[in-house]
Amino acid sequence: MFNVSRSSVRSRSRLNVSTSGQSNGQRRHKPDHWILINTLLLLVIGLVLIYSISSALADTSGTSANYFIFKQLLAVGLALVAFFITAKVPLSRWRKHYKLLMGVAILATLVAIALPVNPSYPAHRWVRFAGLSFESVEMLIFAILIWFAHFLANRIKTNTVRSFSQTVRPILAALLVIGGIVAIIQSDLGSTGVIIAMMGIMIFVAGMPMKRIAIFAALVAGLGIVAILAFPYRMARLETFLHPSANCQSTGYQACQALIAVGSGGVSGLGLGSDVQAYGYLPEADNDSIFAIYAEKFGFIGSVLLLVVFASLFWRIAKVAEGAPDDFSRLIVVGVLTWISTETLINIGAMIGLLPLKGITLPFISYGGTSVVFFAAAIGLVYQVSRYTSHVSSRSIEHLNRRAGINDYSSHRRRIGGTYNPNLSGRS
Amino acid sequence: MPETLGSKLNTGPGRIRIWSVLLLAVLALFVLRLFYLQVIRYAHYKQAALSDQLKQYQIPATRGIIEAEDGNSDVPIVLNQELYTLFADPLFIKNPNQVASQISQIIGGSASSYVPELSAKNTQYVVIANKLTQSQNAKITNLQDPGLGTKGQDYRVYPDGSLASQVLGFVNNNGVGEYGIEQALNPVLAGKPGLLKAITDVNGVPLAASKDNTQIPPTPGQNLVLTLNLGIQQQLETILANEYKATKSQELSAIVMDPYNGHIKAMANYPTYNPANYAQVPNQSLFQNAAVDYPIEPGSVMKTLTTSAALNVGAITPNESFFDPSQWVINGFTIHDIKQDGGAREQNIQSILALSLNTGATWMLMQMSQPGGTQITAKGIVTWHNYMVSHFLLGQPTGIEQGYEATGYVPPANLGDPSINLRYANTSFGQGVSVTAIQLLTALSSVLNGGTYYQPTLIDKTIYPNGQVSINKPKVLERNVVSPQVGQELIPLMEGVVKAYLNGGFSFMNFPSNYIVGGKTGTAQVANPSGGYYNNIFNGTYIGFVGGNRPQYAVIVYNIKPNVPGYAGSYGAQPVFADIVHMLINEGYVDPKS
Repeated sequence: MFNVSRSSVRSRSRLNVSTSGQSNGQRRHKPDHWILINTLLLLVIGLVLIYSISSALADTSGTSANYFIFKQLLAVGLALVAFFITAKVPLSRWRKHYKLLMGVAILATLVAIALPVNPSYPAHRWVRFAGLSFESVEMLIFAILIWFAHFLANRIKTNTVRSFSQTVRPILAALLVIGGIVAIIQSDLGSTGVIIAMMGIMIFVAGMPMKRIAIFAALVAGLGIVAILAFPYRMARLETFLHPSANCQSTGYQACQALIAVGSGGVSGLGLGSDVQAYGYLPEADNDSIFAIYAEKFGFIGSVLLLVVFASLFWRIAKVAEGAPDDFSRLIVVGVLTWISTETLINIGAMIGLLPLKGITLPFISYGGTSVVFFAAAIGLVYQVSRYTSHVSSRSIEHLNRRAGINDYSSHRRRIGGTYNPNLSGRS
Repeated sequence: MPETLGSKLNTGPGRIRIWSVLLLAVLALFVLRLFYLQVIRYAHYKQAALSDQLKQYQIPATRGIIEAEDGNSDVPIVLNQELYTLFADPLFIKNPNQVASQISQIIGGSASSYVPELSAKNTQYVVIANKLTQSQNAKITNLQDPGLGTKGQDYRVYPDGSLASQVLGFVNNNGVGEYGIEQALNPVLAGKPGLLKAITDVNGVPLAASKDNTQIPPTPGQNLVLTLNLGIQQQLETILANEYKATKSQELSAIVMDPYNGHIKAMANYPTYNPANYAQVPNQSLFQNAAVDYPIEPGSVMKTLTTSAALNVGAITPNESFFDPSQWVINGFTIHDIKQDGGAREQNIQSILALSLNTGATWMLMQMSQPGGTQITAKGIVTWHNYMVSHFLLGQPTGIEQGYEATGYVPPANLGDPSINLRYANTSFGQGVSVTAIQLLTALSSVLNGGTYYQPTLIDKTIYPNGQVSINKPKVLERNVVSPQVGQELIPLMEGVVKAYLNGGFSFMNFPSNYIVGGKTGTAQVANPSGGYYNNIFNGTYIGFVGGNRPQYAVIVYNIKPNVPGYAGSYGAQPVFADIVHMLINEGYVDPKS
């Protein structure tokens, strides 16, 4: 049994002689194409969607009909470049320069706060650089991802994950600083939630005891409640969320219109060319509300298909994490998974009335360059890691395990893959 | 060898699996929620969506045009012209100054005056200008500025200016006809607007085809060809304008009618207005067609109807003579002759009309009560009332196609009224009864034509949207109004009145001998709203006819409060009648005796 799969892995790995120089003993495989396919599928869906509502967007924004689709094509082009960079540049190098990345991200955040692109807009989230504008928080999340994976990998290596002084205290300090800047100064509670979720799941995967995690979760929940109570507009959003139909003409307008768009899509949707809600009824049709527009066009069937694509992407990323060759890369992949999935769930959850509205985009689909570029960069990292994992699919492993009477495949898989170098795992 | 999920799996892949399964579980929950929203609650949300998105629009129907006879052909006198409203969506105006100067080059006005609208905030619809012409619209469209748009709307245009304006009426900004034919026949002219139900954007602009869109095409209005003869109408209006000044009139109305079918050949009032500029008319009474909507006490012209009724019931004969005591005391009140013509003496039917003897009209009412008698009785009152209301159809609208037609007033034959005899003595010569010009003229026409009351009409033909033409047949409202014999008797009596005036020095009443011209004057006292009558204000009226072998045109003139040296009827209305008849004869509109 093992021989069969071993040879199949070898036969593949033979084609890809390792050039990464990342490790001794790691072999390079074909990467997980499914991740790339799912991502490209989502990007194409996003482009088609934005193209199909471009006349509606032009109608409500006063731009030419092709303005949005050209800008999004440009963003997707940049995203592909970002993807190839992060997929090519070895993870070890990203890790080595985590301080530089953090520095640039913090600088960008400070610039966004100090030199607002639009001074009349209170949320200082945008940075203008070389003729392009981007949201500083996306860069910050990316930098935190690298730094935090590095931090946790070191703690795992030194077996100090449980240490209060070594691990817990620095994390709490970092969370306070980040939360203070992003949640309070930039008043971006949505992104703060994404950062906290990302770091929390990374801590969880790094092996923090459940008791500590529970305390951590309670702490975050308490701060979250404070952050909501302290700001009237957040209270209003919560109130709106709890009683959407009572506020349809005021604060709940967007929530109501989103539900109308989703619900009126019915089983099969209005069709690609015949949406209505994008024509000024539903605010942020190209952006935060794009899922509702999609659901209106493609109905229940199309919505489920989109969720399946996301589920497939998440599952493949999780597989990569499970098979990651070392703790750093595993934490990176888990971080990316959490980043993308949290934004997806928060965005869709708000559109179907399960969560309050947040200014959170739908990954790869929403209009907007920054989000697409950084998500593509994040996927690039996962794609790179997927080259070094075992490529036996979980189904075939389970299949093999079942045949062999083995229930727990995770420890066996390392043996199956035969490319795992325990020296690099840092696992205690 | 196999390990169980437990403390050993609290790091790495095991926890990743927990997280990824949790994510998939949330996505599965989303699928359930989507099923609830999109499948179970679909009808609710579809309804909510349509109540927001589906809007109804009327598609305006093209209003029918109005034509009239001019010479041997029908020419349009009311047309539609599509003019355009220029509007802007300031959101799309990138350079307001440049666009403003482009607009001012095309439609005039100073460029700077357009800038504020073009750069307005918080709106996506601003009206820049109204009533742009076709060519201006084309030039604006050629700019291809996404921020500018035009919207066509039909406006009425009047090639002949103010001609027949009070007969025509106008169309208000909502597309509804007001006054005249436009009001009376608004449903016919307007057609039926179509209906567009369409899914729209948030600003109400219809989106491309959707299965929820429905459209009912509009039905255009019908075109009308009037009975008016534009030549006569034009001349009549000129005559009225001149006589209005000459008689220092307050208001002057006249109608020329074909007594044999009720067709109105001309109908006019002065002063008048231009319907193209109706919005600028300061005095709304100018919109009124006084000839149909302003009843007055007509005065002695009424004697023609009293005579006809008396002749028809056999109470008198045309050549009958009687002793006129020159005054009657009725209900303690004395009725005098207003003309000092020698006091009590022998008079006849002809002289009753020529001298306009009120005592004579009262005597005819007495004959209707009891032949040979000198008392007014219930029989005379009921008979007279029956003739006025049931034969001559006074006190009710004629049904002519005009807005605001008045009913007039005939006092009821209330025999319990202690002064009913006096009241009816007065009505016999046209006081205490109110009649519009069209009512009186149609009533007289029914005598002249031998006893048929044709509903007066302005409509000669109706042209349907499919091109089918329908001739408007004369509508008989009353047959046997009087016997044909009575018409034959009245015509020479009225001719005698014209001759008497000519002999009395009214040289303008001299008409060529190969035409028959008859008439009757009326000088009516004007009721004082605070009771009684003014003793120095009169309305002048005249009713008559002109023709060759038979009366071809019946003509009526109402001159409201003219300032003339003599009787208002003889000096205020009679000259207008004479002008009209001379015009009809001189312009060849009348067929001479053969």
